[in-house]
Amino acid sequence: MNAAVHADGLVKTFGQARALDGLDLTVRTGEVHGFLGPNGAGKTTTIRILLGQMRADGGQVALLGGDPWHDATELHRRLAYVPGDVTLWPSLTGGEVIGLLGRVRGGLDPRRRADLLDRFELDPRKRCRTYSKGNRQKVALVSAFASDVELLVLDEPTSGLDPLMEAVFNQCVLEEKRRGRTVLLSSHILSEVETLCDRVSIIRAGRTVESGSLAELRHLTRTSVRAELAGPAPGLAALPGVHDLTVEGTRLHCQVDGDALTPVLAELAAAGVRTLTTQPPTLEELFLRHYAGAAR
Amino acid sequence: MTGTWALIRLILRRDRVLLPVWIAGTALLPSSIASATLDLYADQAARDSFAALSMSNPAQLATRGAIYSAGVGGLTAWTLGSSLTLIGGLVSILLVIRHTRAEEETGRRELLSSGVVGRHAPLAAALVVVLGGNLLLGLLSVPGLSAAGLPAGSSLLFGLSIAGGGWALAAVAALAAQLSASSGTARGLAVSAGALLFALRALADAGGVAWAAWLTPFGWVRLTRPYAGDRWWVLGLLVAFAAVLSAAAFLLSTRRDVAGGLLPARLGPASGGPAGVLGLAGRLHRGPLAGFAVGFGLLGALLGVAARGLDAQLDTPQFRELAATVGGAGAHISDVFFTFMMYVLSQLVAGAALVSAVRARTEEAAGRADLLLSTPIGRLRWAASHLVFAALGPALLLAVLGGAAGLAYGDPVRVTAATLAYLPAVWTVVGIATLLCGALPRPATAVSWTALGLFLVIDLLAEFRLAEGVVLELSPFVHVPALLLGGDASPVVPLLVLTALAGGLAAAGLALLRRRDLAPST
Ligand SMILES: Nc1ncnc2c1ncn2[C@@H]1O[C@H](COP(=O)(O)OP(=O)(O)OP(=O)(O)O)[C@@H](O)[C@H]1O
Ligand SMILES: [Mg+2]
Repeated sequence: MNAAVHADGLVKTFGQARALDGLDLTVRTGEVHGFLGPNGAGKTTTIRILLGQMRADGGQVALLGGDPWHDATELHRRLAYVPGDVTLWPSLTGGEVIGLLGRVRGGLDPRRRADLLDRFELDPRKRCRTYSKGNRQKVALVSAFASDVELLVLDEPTSGLDPLMEAVFNQCVLEEKRRGRTVLLSSHILSEVETLCDRVSIIRAGRTVESGSLAELRHLTRTSVRAELAGPAPGLAALPGVHDLTVEGTRLHCQVDGDALTPVLAELAAAGVRTLTTQPPTLEELFLRHYAGAAR
Repeated sequence: MTGTWALIRLILRRDRVLLPVWIAGTALLPSSIASATLDLYADQAARDSFAALSMSNPAQLATRGAIYSAGVGGLTAWTLGSSLTLIGGLVSILLVIRHTRAEEETGRRELLSSGVVGRHAPLAAALVVVLGGNLLLGLLSVPGLSAAGLPAGSSLLFGLSIAGGGWALAAVAALAAQLSASSGTARGLAVSAGALLFALRALADAGGVAWAAWLTPFGWVRLTRPYAGDRWWVLGLLVAFAAVLSAAAFLLSTRRDVAGGLLPARLGPASGGPAGVLGLAGRLHRGPLAGFAVGFGLLGALLGVAARGLDAQLDTPQFRELAATVGGAGAHISDVFFTFMMYVLSQLVAGAALVSAVRARTEEAAGRADLLLSTPIGRLRWAASHLVFAALGPALLLAVLGGAAGLAYGDPVRVTAATLAYLPAVWTVVGIATLLCGALPRPATAVSWTALGLFLVIDLLAEFRLAEGVVLELSPFVHVPALLLGGDASPVVPLLVLTALAGGLAAAGLALLRRRDLAPST
């Protein structure tokens, strides 16, 4: 099996602080890989090492079969990158930046460029100094999606996009996947990458804590259920896949595994539902629940 | 104005090194010059003859103006009035733009403005800090001057005059920051306005139109006449100038959007753009470079015209003798004038070159290099694309300066050649900056400017013989042969040595850049 990215025991220190502390990451060719971690976990640092912008202090790393530091120029022909915080040249227009990046990457498909500009509703004639954060991100995204590369490295690419644009972004990523491209997608929101990713790696404090397909990480994708009932629901506690159940009078709160939702809802309906909210857990909640104790 | 205080604290934090160095450094100069003057010209007769000599030197008149009193205080005020206003004004301009327009441009201001920060707060905070800094350095210079035996009242007036000069130029910058949406353009506008105000004063004193000095803050700084009659009311002109321009800036800032300019932003091309990394560098450098070229061209023409008058007006035995003592037997007074002016102005050209030399680092700090270097462009090619402009830019500027001066004077070849002789010294400054950007990316920009500032100070100290021997050798400008005066046996050797030094420094900087982590300032 060949891997687009393979990192093993990466270490990076900034003075006293250890930003990466033995991080492992494997991205298989052709997959969309979610790279998850709370703020400050080391996602951007890892990506900067993969791009040859920094050198790791320890560990091994291979990118598209090469060394990201020594073979940077060669490897960069085969990838496109969208930074988490896109800054552009204030006096150039968005269209000029897309053109420039396309040319230095060795050409881009003009039809795809026009199509993407249309879908992202981006006006390429505006100077970059007048773009909002989201619009600057769109410039980098259009340029990345329109270029002919094997690997897309996207660092929190949706952090400045509104929900409508997020949907466009999701479509684009799925199209890229269909073309056989590999995508590394960092985020700190699990639900955001759930719909897109084949596999995810979850990191915390510079270390990989979970890695695998979403099915394997099912236990992480529990839904949080809050309900106010008309009467008691005594069978709930005994159902498989129900966790952390708390009952206060007629209100209850629990975590439910994805495949256990149907029987849980049936049980609730039998008791009579007044209000019901369900939520995917945030990554922060996950960490509180699963790793807070273990990581110390 | 809500949030002004918080922003002031932010500025003080960001500039916690720069501000003390600037304030303390400037505040210490007057007392050292005063005591040096006393050492060099111990009695009044020596001071009188020095003053007479200086007043007959048009280059001195152009850079420093007239001497109002040949006492220790009067000579100190004359030596420093113009140059401290030049240095303080430049620092004030850069600081005001940095904390107003440059902040908006990077988008940080949006973040702040969406919080509890009032519309006027950023400009108010920047002005409070810069005006306060100027006032502080003015006041801090008083005790030293008094300790050197000068009257406290006049010393206070001198300190306040210096502060007022800084205020005036800070206000010029505040206004420029409202006019253009680009910090580069705003900086260019303010520096050009400052250069014109300075040139007006130079013309007034060297060109025999003394009344013109009343039209510019650079004139007022001297016209307060500290230690020579103390005209306190002239301070009012400085304060009024600063107040009117600042008020105009606040007024304009309410009439525009955050990150917008008064000059409206038009739509640009929807596609195209630079062909590659060199094309991009061209787009980034051409604006400032064109602005500097126009400025230096005007300045050069002004000098040329002034020098043409000199030879006719001052063709008397005394002046020929003066020229001979300064420039060697048979030297023309205009040659002495050009030699001195080009020595000073080449350091301004070095400032312009420094803007280009730290541009790559600016790109890196802003995070733009991250995106560009994720493409097949290698670091060396990227850095070289900026270095080309840092190397050829000053060649253009010196050629324009020397060419304009030479044409206006009527001897283009010699004057241009003598001006271009400063190119290797300017390159050395570029080399130092390149080395610093490779070795110490985060402080590189500040340290490079400090180094150039030190060279300026070294020249000043050299003149007063406060520094000797090895310290003097540190400034590359000292090593440039004065071609117009034709003293050196072989002018080529020092120029080759400086060029090789500059090349070595730049090469070392590039090698270090290849080895280190990119360091955006986040
Ligand atoms: N240049 C640097 N100097 C010092 N510390 C750094 C530097 N870059 C990153 N760090 C530190 O390393 C850690 C990891 O940072 P990193 O930017 O990789 O996190 P991240 O996972 O991308 O977070 P976010 O979700 O906020 O983007 C943080 O604690 C950060 O403060
Ligand atoms: Mg990050």
